[in-house]
Amino acid sequence: MMKILQGIDIVDISKLKRIIQKNKTFISDIFTEKEREYCESRKDPYIHFAGRFAAKESFMKALGTGFSGIGIDHLFQEIEVLPAPSGKPELHIKGWAEKLAKKRRIRQCTVSISHASDYAVASVILIGN
Amino acid sequence: MSQNFITEATVFEEVKKAIAETLNIDKDSITAESSLIKDLGAESLDFLDINYRLEQAFGIKMARHFILEHIEEMFGEGSAIDANSRITDKAVSLLQFRMGENFPELRAGMDMDEVPALVTVQSLTRGVLDILDSLPEKCSACGNSEWQSENSLRIKCGSCQEYAAFTNGDDLIKAWLTKVQEEKKIF
Repeated sequence: MMKILQGIDIVDISKLKRIIQKNKTFISDIFTEKEREYCESRKDPYIHFAGRFAAKESFMKALGTGFSGIGIDHLFQEIEVLPAPSGKPELHIKGWAEKLAKKRRIRQCTVSISHASDYAVASVILIGN
Repeated sequence: MSQNFITEATVFEEVKKAIAETLNIDKDSITAESSLIKDLGAESLDFLDINYRLEQAFGIKMARHFILEHIEEMFGEGSAIDANSRITDKAVSLLQFRMGENFPELRAGMDMDEVPALVTVQSLTRGVLDILDSLPEKCSACGNSEWQSENSLRIKCGSCQEYAAFTNGDDLIKAWLTKVQEEKKIF
């Protein structure tokens, strides 16, 4: 039987910016090198970091993984959000995130990101068996 | 080994301070039993901020990988999480050994995404103390054993003035899992 899982998240861009500026390792802990390159090439990187953070969180919500709470969860690094040639964002997963998706027999996923004013929002839909 | 330079009360106060500053709430409204999500309204970004604040305050490195991931890494696929993202009986037994009374609501069959709500001020305090208790007998820079406290939050070598290097959160979890498995033979 096909199952559809959905996750949505909203991020306060100013809040994320404050945390990034205060913690030197936040960006490298949470975002992959390709994500950093992409975001930092944009006019306002923080909007794009926030959109990606929301997408990662949405994926975790859709899959029902939760996060560790005690520690800096590496799961964020394992969910990579990059633009396809068309510009539409795509999710690439590896490591523990990929293992958890396989357990849930996920075979397709879509992500959509948007932002306005001081907020970035993302929605992830996962399709599994 | 354990250390006697930074007390549990000091760590508890610093954890409360990190939470209060992150969430912009009154420190006095935070108790040991407060769930960061259910009682204090923290979200994942707040958890990251709180953990970074604690790393900076004590000069430690918190775990980067969930204990459930470490369990699967060490004891095989399916040992911690079943196909429906539910926590297995054996993983719950292990977590109960580790967290004891700090996780009273932990039960087999619960969804993975219910776990963050179980994190309390007390369990976060315990997580920091576990890392601080990995203080080596001797300073890794000069080999002397002259640890002393600085501002009651950092431990420094009285001989060469280097800050103590603690075991990181992930290595501590792995060492603990190995020890418990040897003793209890859960898997």
